[in-house]
Amino acid sequence: MDNAVLSMRNVRKGYREADGNRLDVIQVGRFELGAGDQIALVGASGSGKSTLLNLIAGILLPDAGTVCINGTDITQLPEARRDRFRAGNIGYVFQSFNLLQGFTALENVELGQMFSGGGTGGRGAQLLEAVGLKNRLHHQPRALSVGEQQRVAIARALVNAPALVLADEPTGSLDETNGAAVLELLRQVCTEGRHTLLMVTHDPAVMRHFDRVVRLEELR
Amino acid sequence: MNLVKIVTKNMRQRALATTLTGVSVALAVALTVAIVHIKRGMQQRFEQSTLGYEMVVGAKGSPLQLVLNTVFNLDISPGNIPWSLVEKLQADKRVKAAVPFSVGDNYHGFRIVGTTDIFGETFGYKLAEGRWFTCSIDALRDAFKEALEHSQERIAKEKGVEPPKPAAHHHNPAEAVIGATVARETGLRVGQTFIAAHGVEVSPNAEEHTDNPWTVTGILAPTGTAVDRGLYINLDSFYHIEGHEVRDVPQKDAKPEEKDNDPDPGQVSAVALKLRSPIHALPLYREINDGADAMAAFPAVEVRKLFAIVGNIDRILLAQAILIGLVAGVAIAVSIYNSMSERRREIAILRALGARRRTIFAIVVWEAVAICAVGAAVGVVGGHLIVVAANAALRHVSGFTVAPLALEAAELWVVAGSVALGALAGIGPAWQAYRTEVAENLAPTS
Repeated sequence: MDNAVLSMRNVRKGYREADGNRLDVIQVGRFELGAGDQIALVGASGSGKSTLLNLIAGILLPDAGTVCINGTDITQLPEARRDRFRAGNIGYVFQSFNLLQGFTALENVELGQMFSGGGTGGRGAQLLEAVGLKNRLHHQPRALSVGEQQRVAIARALVNAPALVLADEPTGSLDETNGAAVLELLRQVCTEGRHTLLMVTHDPAVMRHFDRVVRLEELR
Repeated sequence: MNLVKIVTKNMRQRALATTLTGVSVALAVALTVAIVHIKRGMQQRFEQSTLGYEMVVGAKGSPLQLVLNTVFNLDISPGNIPWSLVEKLQADKRVKAAVPFSVGDNYHGFRIVGTTDIFGETFGYKLAEGRWFTCSIDALRDAFKEALEHSQERIAKEKGVEPPKPAAHHHNPAEAVIGATVARETGLRVGQTFIAAHGVEVSPNAEEHTDNPWTVTGILAPTGTAVDRGLYINLDSFYHIEGHEVRDVPQKDAKPEEKDNDPDPGQVSAVALKLRSPIHALPLYREINDGADAMAAFPAVEVRKLFAIVGNIDRILLAQAILIGLVAGVAIAVSIYNSMSERRREIAILRALGARRRTIFAIVVWEAVAICAVGAAVGVVGGHLIVVAANAALRHVSGFTVAPLALEAAELWVVAGSVALGALAGIGPAWQAYRTEVAENLAPTS
């Protein structure tokens, strides 16, 4: 794929066990995503789905192989540049929202902008409005429902208009109704912004929303 | 959103620890500022007061006591010197001016000093209003004679013999020029009179010289020195007060004719000298100190000696304040360090959002610096408030106060030192934050 947003080749990530043997958690032969793709990545608990997302985000480095985002091999970037690259090109939505307590909804979203090097502008407020939190801009996370917190996290992930959005079981902490609403919202804003969405899940109900579902084992 | 906001939020989230550590920094800074300020201020006041007083001569004893008594209106007089010595010094070609002083009374705790009309001119004290008191050497000599007659009368009474008949004497009016502080605090104005109490300090049983009221003829412009706290009267009027005999009771082994016909009855507490040239200072100093009658002292030297002694005390206090500061620094480091375990996830989130390691390092260091900077700012204000509170005690002990709003250059160093301490205290926890593993800490801990 010439215009791949994400391209992984021969990626390996493992850990050395107590007995000295090496255990490969991630093995990816070739994996590519194009602009606007929306894919569900499925795997058993502990199979390494989150580790794969961390490798794609540049939070972890692979033992071997390349991870290219929009043509940039992030494994070759020095750490500081990789951090900045992540801020500008990758949005990350976590299962546990990972909002900072003590900061309002708007401030949490603006934090996402701060590290990308761009100004905070008014995009944070616009995005919060777009995810239905117009009246919750200045509320702290503890004053928001779990569904609202995940909406804030989605707004934060999208605030830099990233090419790639990684979502690690974003509905895992939500009830069925809230989960469905959040999933729909995430897919909708990614479709509208042509953001590539890679969502990790083990929930069959979530998988049904995706045209393409990839099992982690299939990536080897 | 910027780093300052993140640092402020972090501090607010740990409000109690931030406040407590900030207070300990403030305490250390306040103590340091107060000590530095009071010491510098007092030294300045003391040195300012010695200006013009090149040498003082008084009874043999402690030179510091002589200087404190003559120049600063403090302590008690170490004794008297004969008037003939004053005249001898006035006639000495090396001496430009010799100003006599006699002390022994007070008005509402402010010292009354008998002197002559060359006092203001010699030391450059200007009148804010009114005129100088009337004073003449003839009246002074007459006062000595009259006082001698009083002494002879008392001795005769003690012996049970008929006292000699008193002669007619000329009296100058009892007049006074008062210092600016005296005028402000007692409300005395030109033309008003006051009555002295015996003794140089206020005492409930002090005898009042009700028969000798002085009229205020002038008020001195403020000088910022001990002069502001004195009432200066013509020396002859000083000897008209009952009990101010011009010489001590004669020695038991003195011959009767020596006792009753003392050719040199006048005595003063001290004499302050202005010399024609600094070159004369040391020879004259040695000459006087080698003699049996009197002692000379350099006020500037004695003040330096005094502050060298005081300096040891304030060095101990400063060391204590610095120790408090160091303890505060350690407390900040420990407090932030302890918060690290609960902040690891927060740091991991920031890193996942794109924050660089050095940004995380800076956030933690700035947090420690901010605590110290705010603590130091509060401490500077607190230090000045301590000076305000201490001024009452300083006035009581020394007669001086320190300007509480004046800023010392040392205060900037104290603040800069506190900020540096904060930076140092933050380095340890910041390094821990710098090394936080993102992937391991992104998930919530139970």
